[in-house]
Amino acid sequence: MTQNERTAQIDRQFDASFGVFDGHIRDEQAVIAGQRAGRGSGSGGAGGQGAGSEDGGAGAGGNGRGSGSGQGAGQGGSGDQAGNGQNGNGSGQGQGQGQGQGQGQGQGQGRGQGGGGGGVGGGAAGGSGPNTVPADIPDGSDDDVVARQLREAAMNETDPELREKLWQEYRNYKKSAG
Amino acid sequence: MSRALRFFALGALAVALNVSLTACMTHETRPLPRINAIQASTEIPANQLLDVGVKLLDENVPKDEKVQEKERIFPDVRRAEARYISMQIRNTLEGTGQWGQVRVIPADADALDVHVSGKILESSGAMLRLEVTVSDATNRVWFKREYEQPADTRSYRDNTGRARDPFQNLYSTLANDMLAHRQQLAAADLEGVRRVSELRFASELAPYAFKSYIDSDKKGLYHVTRLPADDDPLFVRMDRIRERDYALLDTINEHYALFAENMSDPYTNWRRYSYDEIEAQDEAKRQALTRKLLGAAAIIGGLVAGTETNTYVGQAAATAAIFGGAYAIKSGFDKGAEVKMHGDSLKQLGESFQAEVQPMVVEVEGRTLQLRGTAEEQYHEWRRLLRELYENETGVAPPEPAAAEAAAAQTPAQQPQSR
Repeated sequence: MTQNERTAQIDRQFDASFGVFDGHIRDEQAVIAGQRAGRGSGSGGAGGQGAGSEDGGAGAGGNGRGSGSGQGAGQGGSGDQAGNGQNGNGSGQGQGQGQGQGQGQGQGQGRGQGGGGGGVGGGAAGGSGPNTVPADIPDGSDDDVVARQLREAAMNETDPELREKLWQEYRNYKKSAG
Repeated sequence: MSRALRFFALGALAVALNVSLTACMTHETRPLPRINAIQASTEIPANQLLDVGVKLLDENVPKDEKVQEKERIFPDVRRAEARYISMQIRNTLEGTGQWGQVRVIPADADALDVHVSGKILESSGAMLRLEVTVSDATNRVWFKREYEQPADTRSYRDNTGRARDPFQNLYSTLANDMLAHRQQLAAADLEGVRRVSELRFASELAPYAFKSYIDSDKKGLYHVTRLPADDDPLFVRMDRIRERDYALLDTINEHYALFAENMSDPYTNWRRYSYDEIEAQDEAKRQALTRKLLGAAAIIGGLVAGTETNTYVGQAAATAAIFGGAYAIKSGFDKGAEVKMHGDSLKQLGESFQAEVQPMVVEVEGRTLQLRGTAEEQYHEWRRLLRELYENETGVAPPEPAAAEAAAAQTPAQQPQSR
């Protein structure tokens, strides 16, 4: 292998690792955005958007963004000694079925204000089917650390576009490593 | 004898009057003049725009529970405040437009141009005292100061939901002090801070390649000795890694921001009610002391008058003064009970808010730790790839990091300040 080929190989590994990292950060930011959107919502928790845990299934290309429905329950905070009763707690739940065969389920909690009815917008997003492995992807039994991370990131990614990019990184990496 | 008693009585009366007057003077509402952070009026050149990391403040919770109780410190409330106040400082700095990215970062993080660190000396609804140190990437300490700020009571009366923080003056003063110091630095100094910050980051990830680019003097101040070439293959990759480091810090900052948003309303309420109770307690303390002193003065005055008068009316007045004094002292002790009642209220308020905020603190710390833990794996990987790249480019295998390997498991955002 020439020096340039070796540099290119290392760069592919960088790209793969950056892809995994970026995926983690994006997921985390989606969680924060979901929590922020749900914070202080005074009504019952609407179906939120988020990454549910998935069951694997076929249905390649399943739409990762299912619409979820949710229920919210709120409870007013009891007044304390000084009459502070402005805080309510609520919780929400959501379930949904996506276009693919994945299923998502989750719970969210949020805080409302107004002494009662503080519902939560953190209902879980339902219906995502990211945990699908394209037909041309091998079983992964011989994956090294980078390949395994790429595979996991792709399987957990809910954004279909980013997921496909991660799978492509996986293919490229396997090709270069092989 | 009678002269001594009279002198003592007059003295006690003077002390009592003094205490009363002091009570009147200190017990006043405090709608304070507002101090605003100075806004940028011109665009700052990009190569002089410094990124700021506001490190989570030291909670400074005394270990002794009796001291905690005496100083009205609730550990979980203090933990929450360390995050909340850090975010208020960050928001104030960010709002001025005088700086680059301003982030709240973990206390052990160290990857930005300017660092704000400090500890909470006192925090209640009535007073905020902080000790703050500002330094830059070259290890130059800009200043270390103590800030003290009574609450602006207007904030507690504002029920619009968008009240200014009662201690905003403190944050604004700090921001203005930082700006004043930065303005003393020459453009070359500012650019130097940015370069050192960049090279220290690179040096932490690949010391074998970048350590020779910076040096430190006897005082421990870093300076750049030479610059890497623009097309240095390692440095080019380093830029991409640093982008990820920023993304990690941004995400951690977002967690703290969300925490502060969630905490804001209950915390403001707690501070408002605490302020009322603290004021009422202080007032009751002052009144109790005044009544006791006045009572004692009246008794002594009655005794003096009794010894110096021979008339029935004089004796009656002296007796009345003694009984009046005794009543005043009893009234002072009654006020003491009121002081205790306010103290109990403060304790209940604190415990109630502590129970509310404690799970929020646990959650935000859990999430940020998890995030940093996940990132550690990638940093480890990037260090390995940089080594391989270095070897491929130079034909020289970097020395095996022995003890440095343990440190390598940390993200640059976790490196300790002293290196």
